[in-house]
Amino acid sequence: MRILSVLLMLIISACSSQPEQEVVTVSADCDIQYSRYQATVTGYCQEAAADLPQTLDIINKRITIKPLADIPEVFWFNKKMKYSLIKQENSAPLIFIIAGTGASFDSAKMVSLQKSFYQQGFHVISLSSPTFANYIVNSTNLTYMPGDLAHDAEDLYKVMKLVWAQVQQENEVEATSFSLTGYSLGGAHSAFVSLLDEEEQVFNFEKVLMINPPVSLYNSVSILDEFFDLRKNRQASIGMFDEIIARFSKVYSQQRSSKFDQSSIYSLFKNVELSDEELKLIIGASFRISSSNMFFALDTSFNAGAITYKNHKIDKFESTTHSMQRASAITFGDYFDKAMLPRAQRQDASTTKADLIHRYSLYAIEDYLKSSKKIFLVTNQDDIILQSSEVDYLQSIFSERAKIFPRGGHCGNLDRFSFVEHLHTLFEKASD
Amino acid sequence: MLNIAKKSVHAISFIMLYLLSGCSSVPQLESNAKAPIIKLPKDNQRLGVMSAYSDPWEGFNRRVYYFNAMADEYVILPVVVGYKKITPDIVEKGISNFFNNLSEISTFINSLLQVKMLVAGETLTRFVLNSTIGLAGFFDVASQAGLREQNEDFGQTLGFWGVDAGPYLVLPLLGPSSLRDATGVAFDALTYQQAIEQLGMSTDEELMLTIMDSIDTRAKLPFRYYSSGSAFEYDQLKLLYKKYREIQVAR
Repeated sequence: MRILSVLLMLIISACSSQPEQEVVTVSADCDIQYSRYQATVTGYCQEAAADLPQTLDIINKRITIKPLADIPEVFWFNKKMKYSLIKQENSAPLIFIIAGTGASFDSAKMVSLQKSFYQQGFHVISLSSPTFANYIVNSTNLTYMPGDLAHDAEDLYKVMKLVWAQVQQENEVEATSFSLTGYSLGGAHSAFVSLLDEEEQVFNFEKVLMINPPVSLYNSVSILDEFFDLRKNRQASIGMFDEIIARFSKVYSQQRSSKFDQSSIYSLFKNVELSDEELKLIIGASFRISSSNMFFALDTSFNAGAITYKNHKIDKFESTTHSMQRASAITFGDYFDKAMLPRAQRQDASTTKADLIHRYSLYAIEDYLKSSKKIFLVTNQDDIILQSSEVDYLQSIFSERAKIFPRGGHCGNLDRFSFVEHLHTLFEKASD
Repeated sequence: MLNIAKKSVHAISFIMLYLLSGCSSVPQLESNAKAPIIKLPKDNQRLGVMSAYSDPWEGFNRRVYYFNAMADEYVILPVVVGYKKITPDIVEKGISNFFNNLSEISTFINSLLQVKMLVAGETLTRFVLNSTIGLAGFFDVASQAGLREQNEDFGQTLGFWGVDAGPYLVLPLLGPSSLRDATGVAFDALTYQQAIEQLGMSTDEELMLTIMDSIDTRAKLPFRYYSSGSAFEYDQLKLLYKKYREIQVAR
């Protein structure tokens, strides 16, 4: 069954919704040809791994956010919101981590961050992204679709307060201070939550770190949509996909052992010799899978009727294959136009597409990001979800509070030596 | 024990045939339900991998998938967690090696059946080494000696000789399979049973062994039902399983 995990990693790579699997954690270096896409898919394995704890004592938690009867039957397995706690023995600073687009509290990237912060002496609370199905169906927000960052922040803040109350009560967690971080979309969320906290002052975050955030969510998803081009190049994309699988299959069949372990994954990738176009396709496909999951959860929760029957209660044994096929026929951009924009216009008819794109971006809180001394940024010069002008923009907004690594792609270096070292330096200063 | 196994295989096949034909997964639409805005792509072929595998027994499969998820959460995983808690890691590893070693018998037979002599030879050497120097398989000395563990089963043998996978089938407790692979599972189980017979154990002891084997198998598998949170998990797993088996058979 090992190869299942491997295929999962291939198909659902990068910042996606799959849980941590043993094979995903990377300990060995590799000699694969570097590219920003490769780093995004297999991790920046050309750099040495950081010395992180092998395992963590993770307490998996569930919390009721809204009446369970209100959750659609097809999501019977998502009743209660899931999150995790990693607890220090004594009272300690606490950090919340928010996952990236479509990702859960226990995704591989989350686990890397959990290890770093736990090692650093933090209690760690990990939350799924507001775009993750389990979060969506448990959220009380049925007015704004996720991605609308300021409204997401209100919802996240509510969840964080409930979760904090629960861990105090059930796990006797004592926090000396609070910090906040998140990767990818979770990084953007962190900044918006922090802004809200300035008013509400429940947590009074000491430090907020944005890791590989998008500048404009719409720009970033447009980039990813193009990686798996459905409109102009559907046949070619599908053909390339089959070709990639065939090559993996061939290399695998030439491998001496049928077993899979960490180093054999690197050698597999090395021997398959994926081109940048092919790597982009894998990233695009993975993004499409996690956005399909998201569309479906949104569709059923909001009764949007885009890929499901409107006004229809889906039975738990009912086939959802047709919805998956419909979802696979649209891009994120389509969903934005057909579901998200109309939803926002229902609240305020004068909202234009440009308004919404602005709301879905860091530009909306530029002044706060410029002036707040507690907010820090770490990203990579070659992050695939950023246009080069956007990297410059981030640098200019955060100036000395920005750390931009030359390499690592999108979130490819979260468990690498220099990245972890940077986290340690940054948060050491915080606790002094 | 062999008889019981045979009888249960019969009974299960009968029940499954009955169920396979009876369940539906088609939406029962309310009168005010509206068709989805996004149209189903007309040419299903254009979806590529997404629709590459038909699923005539979907209604049955989805029900068993649900049953499996429930059984996993409320019965199997609690047992596995308990087992891991009370068993020291080194013992756990030993037990795991022991069952791995037993499964080499089936790998050996199936590599012979596929005329993969190198694989058969390597597997046999592993089995002999581990059964003797490795103290009945508790230590995997063969891997340390550079002999790789291989994986062949009767489903792959059938595939090797050109038997089509047939319809996708979710087996109770065992999970994703196909008509061909389920047949393979039954065949391998009988082989395994024959091997166990040689150990000269009582029926109770054999049962214990089977239970331990199942716990060990589950403990090694990182998969958790619905941790993806996705309502498409059934379809995604079907796709992965089908691809995985194609790759294995091609090997």
